[in-house]
Amino acid sequence: MAEVRLLSVSHRYPGTDADTLRQLDLTIEAGEAHALLGGSGAGKTTLVNLLSGLLVPSAGNLTFDDRDVTRLAPRDRDVAQVFQFPVLYQSMTVADILAFPLRNRGWRRAAARERAADIAERLDLAALLGTRAAALTLFQKQLVAIGRALVRPDIALVLLDEPLTAVEPATKWQLRRVIKAIQRELGATMVYVTHDQTEALTFADRISVMHDGAILQTGTPEALYDKPDHEHVAHFIGSPGMNLLGAEVADGTFRLGGRVLGPAGDLGAGPCTVGFRPEWAVLERAGGDHGVATVTGTRILGVELHRPVGIVTADLDGQLLRTRQVIDVAVGDRVLLRPDADRLLGFRNGRRLTAGAERAGA
Amino acid sequence: MRSWNNRAWLGVLPVVLVVAFSAVIPLMTVVNYSVQDIFDLSNRLFVGFDWYRETLRDPRFLAALGRQLLFSALVLGIEIPLGILVARSLPRRGAAAGAWLVVIAVPLLIPWNVVGTIWQMFARPDIGLLGAGLSALGFDFNFTADPVDAWVVLLLMDVWHWTSLVALLAYAGLAAIPEAYYQAAELDAARRWQVFRHVELPGLKPVLLIAGLLRLMDSLMIYTEPFVLTGGGPGNSTTFLSQHLTTMAVGQFDLGPAAAFSVLYFLVILLLCWLFYTSVMREDDPQDGPRER
Repeated sequence: MAEVRLLSVSHRYPGTDADTLRQLDLTIEAGEAHALLGGSGAGKTTLVNLLSGLLVPSAGNLTFDDRDVTRLAPRDRDVAQVFQFPVLYQSMTVADILAFPLRNRGWRRAAARERAADIAERLDLAALLGTRAAALTLFQKQLVAIGRALVRPDIALVLLDEPLTAVEPATKWQLRRVIKAIQRELGATMVYVTHDQTEALTFADRISVMHDGAILQTGTPEALYDKPDHEHVAHFIGSPGMNLLGAEVADGTFRLGGRVLGPAGDLGAGPCTVGFRPEWAVLERAGGDHGVATVTGTRILGVELHRPVGIVTADLDGQLLRTRQVIDVAVGDRVLLRPDADRLLGFRNGRRLTAGAERAGA
Repeated sequence: MRSWNNRAWLGVLPVVLVVAFSAVIPLMTVVNYSVQDIFDLSNRLFVGFDWYRETLRDPRFLAALGRQLLFSALVLGIEIPLGILVARSLPRRGAAAGAWLVVIAVPLLIPWNVVGTIWQMFARPDIGLLGAGLSALGFDFNFTADPVDAWVVLLLMDVWHWTSLVALLAYAGLAAIPEAYYQAAELDAARRWQVFRHVELPGLKPVLLIAGLLRLMDSLMIYTEPFVLTGGGPGNSTTFLSQHLTTMAVGQFDLGPAAAFSVLYFLVILLLCWLFYTSVMREDDPQDGPRER
């Protein structure tokens, strides 16, 4: 298990005139379960290929435990990979597939068999050791592929490139749990690539959110959720994403359409974007003409304490706004916005404002 | 109670008619001839399996069958591995790939008798580039007189003509193997031959089965090229089943024995193809290559 470090890594594919990855710096601790989260075109697969050695970065360095592996061939890196669909040697038995990476690295037959059987045991594949890969179900195949990736005790890094894509939804959660459990048990350094935030949030110790060839933020699931550094992260994480409304800071408060939303600390005055999670605010039916927004939709997601709860959508001077709350308002109602004032986040130029940074910049 | 609508049978009638006229009736005619001794249209005698017995004891038939089996075995043994080798050495992408495919496909576009003529001239000991060249180098080469030389030319010609087919099929098969399989093998530190054995060969299996069957059937039926090239000689050394049959049926007008011969010929091809198919398919039962996801 190795600590993986990217030092200003950039990559540009030959024949293109823009970097696919731009100046990435990232440290993945030994034994960490790390997720790369991003939409298609974010550069996740390129980064995985750099880590596995299928690509060599055009600039920057890559180290495993201080060993510079930037230009090392894939087979010399001690990296294993699980692909989007099960990649197995169809004509081999499960036992042979699991022993294959060991045998190729000089393990004796008996020792390799023993280790393969051990891994198969942990993945509940022991009964299938003598079965040919072609006869397995999709789920079992992917499980074997995971087993093959974990079979070498000296593996530095395990890459999982959207490993649940081909698995049917019903068994997805099961496989995800198996991967997570075995990661904990073996303490393997894992990089899990996904575009699905639920997978990332449930699997990873830390997540790097990628967008357009850059890592926007790296942090624990809680940090990404509560304190996104970037509007894109705020919007991307959470379902639905964070509300991001055009507002302004004046006299140390966030103001929206002239009304005070909450304290802004010592952020500098001026226009900004105010962000809050749907569950950090409530829309309340307003008496008279005090309402600031109009309810445009409600979606019930469940029932709590005999009351329907769900998502309320509202229009506030042309801006869309969503809250997760008890549904006691109806479409067309004029409502007041009551946010959890202490949790409001301010963004300028796409980045989250922090009081200290703002002061330093001012 | 389920009700049956027998009018549905009318739906398959066209197919039955087409198959009857195209296959069953001609075949049955041949079967009919094979059990009779025919003198002319009104004079015929039922002879049972006599012609079959005679054919199976005919040394010329057995010799032709032996040559046929040897030829097909050699052709398959050379063309399949060579085709895979060619396919593996072709570039996978780019303009060069397209150009190579066109060049490779050229022999397949040449009519069979033209192929025979080309090689007949090419191998002529007096003026042919190959024949005269070999003679000039001091080899005692004359494919019109020496059976071994005739076989060599015949095999060279068939390999030249048909390896392209195997190569093109194998090329398509290789292109269908997802890149991830090669990447996984690289990460597993697989050696070259292991990549071939465990990634490429299983991926190629379906197309190789087709290629093998096509080449087996075609080589068992080969007629035109040896007819043009050697005329079956020297002696009978390159006379294969089809040419022997033609000599009997057209040349000597022995319709009864020729019919029995035809039925046996058909059964041999059917049997060999079945043996080939089952022996390839038996290896691993749930048959699928890496293309299956």
